[in-house]
Amino acid sequence: MIDVQSIRDAARDLLAKGEVRAVIGYRRGSRGMLAEPVTITDPEQADELVWDATCFHNLALYLVEDRKALAHAQRTPNLPIAIVAKGCDARAIVVLMQEHYFKREDVYIIGVSCEGGGVLVEYKLARLLNGAQALSAVIDGAELVVTTLAGEVRLPASEVMADRCLECREPFPKEHNVVFGEDQTSRQLVAPFTALARFEALSEADRWAYWCRQFERCIRCFACRSVCPMCYCDECVVDSITFPVAPETTAEEKANRIRWIERSAVRSENITYHMTRAMHLAGRCIDCGECERVCPVNIPLRLLNNKMEREAREHFGYEPGASIGGPSLVASFRDDDPGQFIR
Amino acid sequence: MSEEEQAYEPKIVAFLCKWCSSAGSDLAGVSRIQYPANATPITVPCSGSISPLYILSAFNKGADGVLLSGCHIGDCHYIEGNYLARRKIYLIKELLEMVGVEPDRFRMSWVSAAEGAKYAQVVKDFVADLKPLGPQNKLKADRT
Repeated sequence: MIDVQSIRDAARDLLAKGEVRAVIGYRRGSRGMLAEPVTITDPEQADELVWDATCFHNLALYLVEDRKALAHAQRTPNLPIAIVAKGCDARAIVVLMQEHYFKREDVYIIGVSCEGGGVLVEYKLARLLNGAQALSAVIDGAELVVTTLAGEVRLPASEVMADRCLECREPFPKEHNVVFGEDQTSRQLVAPFTALARFEALSEADRWAYWCRQFERCIRCFACRSVCPMCYCDECVVDSITFPVAPETTAEEKANRIRWIERSAVRSENITYHMTRAMHLAGRCIDCGECERVCPVNIPLRLLNNKMEREAREHFGYEPGASIGGPSLVASFRDDDPGQFIR
Repeated sequence: MSEEEQAYEPKIVAFLCKWCSSAGSDLAGVSRIQYPANATPITVPCSGSISPLYILSAFNKGADGVLLSGCHIGDCHYIEGNYLARRKIYLIKELLEMVGVEPDRFRMSWVSAAEGAKYAQVVKDFVADLKPLGPQNKLKADRT
């Protein structure tokens, strides 16, 4: 079990010694037990930091936001920024560095191992608590310790954890400057890609019917894109309102810009949007599952990304987020890549 | 087969590499090889220049089938473009299948500039495979 105090001490030290300009971490949110992301710049704020099973967010997103803010302000800081990173967050940071979004020395990674646990899912917890309100939730070994108004409840962690955490292959942040917790990379709670394998056993017609049902719901709020640390493009190819418009842009230029798909939330456009996103994330998605978590209409987006991840792994021997220096999935090839489908 | 089905002619969008397949289709033409006229050719600089979005967009705009044809492995004018295409296209093909689009709606082939007959055969086979599937309405834009 990880002692929150050690994370706080590390953050306080870094800020007090002036080694970093800020620390991105989690603090207790305003909504009950849930944690929320926070950026602290004052050593005294370090005591606000928390670490528990509600630290859902992939904080790598805030590194991207920080980078964008710096670029906008045309500022080049001389100090790195520190970040509290779970296994998946650390992999996301590696992918960003692989893509030269920032350099290794720009980031100080405070790694925190999820050990045998992960993050919980609110609805799974609510179901087990029978309506009791949880005040805090911490993973202790294979159990989740929940404090409610009625007292402490211990639940098997595997019953409340997020699917992505159950299927996680690498709960330990390999890339780090300092790390807390044990490396339990070999833990196997559920075999990876279990949900995907179950889905793929369906027939083609059933698969299509399934996705129709899912994508008819999509309201194109772009929450999946906003929350994804890999979706950092300023101009999104499938979203015409992100195309830059300057005062000198003529109406004709605006009208003639290629719109691959429309923004209207109809099934055909939604499917094309999500497939495009899955392709853009192929070899980059590190399965933090944030897109699925934030989806207001509960579309199982992880299935699409998992599919790309598994194909990359099985057929191209590619593991996203494994190395900073390696080539990216679609910018490299091997002589024995599968090509039997080509006539 | 009903009359309507017989009258159905699938629309194919064919992305052809300008260094090989495009010349191959030209050769099929000048050689007077008879093959279906369903494919609308779009010449691209290299099969590796194809973004998966082109394929999705073609389906979105109402194509019943999409064909992508490039140079044989080892023959790429840009040395490695077709290797990169092979990887990318494999992924989009898998994704289309997973979503439930019939696998026969998308096809990739290697056709060199000397293979006019092969190009004609690829289109012939593709049309034959597409006809039983009927019009593609899954990804086609619904702008009603």
